[in-house]
Amino acid sequence: MRILVVDDSSTMRRIIINTLNKIGYSDYAEASNGREGVEKLASDAIDMIITDWNMPEMSGVDFIRAVRANDQTKHLPVIMVTTNAAQEDIVQALDAGVNNYVVKPFTPDTIRERIQAAIHG
Amino acid sequence: MDMPPILTENLVSAAGEVFEMMIGQSIEPHPEQPHQPPSGWGTHVAASVSFAGHRSGLVCIHTSLDTANTIAGAMLGIEPEHVNGEMPDAMGEVANLVAGSFRTRLAQHEPASAIAIPTVTVGSDFATKYAADTARVFYPFRMGEQSIYFELLLMQR
Repeated sequence: MRILVVDDSSTMRRIIINTLNKIGYSDYAEASNGREGVEKLASDAIDMIITDWNMPEMSGVDFIRAVRANDQTKHLPVIMVTTNAAQEDIVQALDAGVNNYVVKPFTPDTIRERIQAAIHG
Repeated sequence: MDMPPILTENLVSAAGEVFEMMIGQSIEPHPEQPHQPPSGWGTHVAASVSFAGHRSGLVCIHTSLDTANTIAGAMLGIEPEHVNGEMPDAMGEVANLVAGSFRTRLAQHEPASAIAIPTVTVGSDFATKYAADTARVFYPFRMGEQSIYFELLLMQR
């Protein structure tokens, strides 16, 4: 399964990728904001998306809306990983089409559970 | 102005959680240490994130350069001696995570505040000064044999 990791922080992308490696997912692509994520989806065979919320150029929520508006990508499972933990933030992300939501900081077990839930949910 | 206990408790909890979950390192409060970063650290790293809203202030993490490289290496899965240009971004992310968790915890008790982007300063001869009417407290911790100071600054409204 090829996972697209979208985050403007190269450090956080690396942490997420290290976490994915630990839990058995070693095929990934990277993008540093939603706009790059849209471009990557058009050129790469992606099976799942893990995205941050707060990013320049195109936020995670706007990125998810773009993913859901495209017939080629609207079926993809999307997990949002963010420090935004307020109830209204979670509701907004779910309204935009996110399948699952992880509040930083997180453990590898949390990411594994959310991926499994997004795949099977 | 005294630091409200709810801020102290939530900063200490947030810091411990971030180091345990994202860095894989345990940190322990160490009140026997000097109550502010020592002047003999040589190169010193200060990673800060400000917050504003119901309360306004700043969370800052102070370490020596060696400790910052240890933290960055643990966070990124590389040996500390191989950490180079990654350290400032990694320390900024640690500050962002601690401030974000601190904000989330406080929001369970009071209106939420917003946090800003991180700032990381690396140098061997600098001091941070703030405007009057602020409360400023350092919380000394140990990560193994290494010292870490969390600073909380609160502006009077």
